[in-house]
Amino acid sequence: MSDKIDISRRAFIGVAGTAIGATAIAANLPSIGAPPQPNKPNIDSNSFTEEALKTDVLVIGSGIAGLFAAVKAHDAGAKVIMVSKGRLGSSGLTPFGKGVFSYDKNNPKMQPEEYLAKVADSAIGTNNPVFTRQLLEHSADRVAELKEWGFFDSPLCNLSFSKPMNERNIPLVERVMMTHLHKENGRVVGASGFSLNENKIINFSAKTIILCTGSGGFKPSGFPMCDLTHDGTIMAYNIGAKITGKEWNDGHPASAKNAGSSYDNWHGQVEEKPSTTTEDIHHDLGVDLNYQAYIKGGPVSMGPPGRNEEKTNSTNKIAGPYTPEAFHKGNSGPPQQPPQESGWRSLFSGGKRPEGPPNMQGESVGGSTAGMAIHKSEGLVPIDETGLSNIPGLWAAGDALGSYMSGGIYTQVGSSMAGSSVQGAIAGEAAAKASKTVDRIVIPKNKLAQTKADILAPLKRETGYSPAWVTQILQSVMIPNFVLYIKKERMMDAALAYVEELKEHHAPMLMASDRHHLRLAHETMNMLITAEMKLKASMMRTESRCSHYRLDFPDIDYKNWQAWINIHKDQNGEMIFEKQPFDKWPAYS
Amino acid sequence: MPINEIAGCIGCNTCVETCPTDVIQMDKEHKKAYIAYPEDCQICHLCRLYCPVDAISITPEKSIPVVVSWR
Repeated sequence: MSDKIDISRRAFIGVAGTAIGATAIAANLPSIGAPPQPNKPNIDSNSFTEEALKTDVLVIGSGIAGLFAAVKAHDAGAKVIMVSKGRLGSSGLTPFGKGVFSYDKNNPKMQPEEYLAKVADSAIGTNNPVFTRQLLEHSADRVAELKEWGFFDSPLCNLSFSKPMNERNIPLVERVMMTHLHKENGRVVGASGFSLNENKIINFSAKTIILCTGSGGFKPSGFPMCDLTHDGTIMAYNIGAKITGKEWNDGHPASAKNAGSSYDNWHGQVEEKPSTTTEDIHHDLGVDLNYQAYIKGGPVSMGPPGRNEEKTNSTNKIAGPYTPEAFHKGNSGPPQQPPQESGWRSLFSGGKRPEGPPNMQGESVGGSTAGMAIHKSEGLVPIDETGLSNIPGLWAAGDALGSYMSGGIYTQVGSSMAGSSVQGAIAGEAAAKASKTVDRIVIPKNKLAQTKADILAPLKRETGYSPAWVTQILQSVMIPNFVLYIKKERMMDAALAYVEELKEHHAPMLMASDRHHLRLAHETMNMLITAEMKLKASMMRTESRCSHYRLDFPDIDYKNWQAWINIHKDQNGEMIFEKQPFDKWPAYS
Repeated sequence: MPINEIAGCIGCNTCVETCPTDVIQMDKEHKKAYIAYPEDCQICHLCRLYCPVDAISITPEKSIPVVVSWR
């Protein structure tokens, strides 16, 4: 069979995996013994080789957090390897982040104390001021380095990112999906994954590891994040790391026309060169648009009126999710950025805007980032200001770290790219320093054998479910606006029943015919665990605040909910949820 | 179709490496890139932007139905 014939067959399977397609394909199946589908692997799962690589610091992920983590760990004297599911600077959300916040300490528009007070006000206490302050302290230095590397001279950040990596000869392992972290004697000692290029598993032995794996979603449409499936978070969760922030929601819409095209939804801004932003604090991009659609979209008689409805003096008539008064649109507020013709700036400006989202004009549809929380609000729980997790030797930075730099709402435009840079650099230095104080622990052979079996299992199954089909069911359950945007206990419980079914029955039967589908199978498992976390955390948080909106608990509960929710897997494999007071760090394990 | 044509490919493999969702593969025999998994294309255009000979054309329609939260 030639490659070409193969393509059209696979493309057909992709289309047929939808609900409508499934009916059509069922009609063509033999009458007996049809589901689940037989697996027809076109690569030999027995031909996988294993490669062992050794380093002091392993950086997983090659976005802007990973770049700074690798560079700073190297400069602090450690041997570093970077491994990426994609390519340096062209995977994850980094290629699409065009604004980088830069705080001029010597000549600030806003003094640090005023800035921190205003962020805390917008975030309704959900931000961690230690990480917000880091942004003010270090963002300008990171921006200066990016400038030196040529980051602001081209929209293609692989070019600028390659400069510091090449100058330092930092080894880069691309197109390897990491699936496992290894823990021995209570500390992280390595990681494993498989290559997308060849039949190979790579086992990394490392003294310390920094997860710069970004956040993730349910492969939603209209936002360029379908490669992000919370891989780092789930690997870390599986070895006992604490995870936070799963109840918060990014609420970006997409355009009704070609909702699946992230390029068109963002007006081609990927082609723009990046630039810097300055102090400008908002309370933006939560669930308000989803709420509007929900209330107007049908005969909704139940539910309380929106929390802002009684504020008759306000220019903000939006009902539903609460916005602190100082951040109502139309109130004096901070000076606006000058209006731009297109792109992310127009989100935050009152100027002339092109048609359609993300500028909230034209006809919109929702859920373009479904499954993702607010930048920097979800991921590994830090136990200190360097982004160290509760697992010794394991750090996270950027969107993989639940630093709560902005809290459960967007506060500062450009802060995500800047925050990832700042946190990556700090984690890099800390992980390099720590790597000098520990001896290498060899990963036991039986553990590597088990890892290999886990990785290859979907290829070895004779029958099972396709990752695309399971993902489509998951999307149908999790993306509608009445599940995670406008939350209600009963509906989330119903969704959870689906998710648990998929996780317990279908995940163990996910199959793969090649390395691409093997990747999809592992991504799908990560998405299923994320969905369970999001539903359970959302049910636990019996209040509404920032981007978390409960129709059945519409008020902020200052008495019981001045707390984040941390999630971990206990010794019996149970998913455990705990409150973490806003002003406390969790304990080291 | 999302990514729908690669015409004039020089076989440099850049698009294969660049695609965040692993949509493009290299036909090793003919040294040409081909669209292997169009259903996974997120229509981000990175492959087109990185292609040194401007060989890739993309249309805004997704090849499979998309699930949205409301419309």
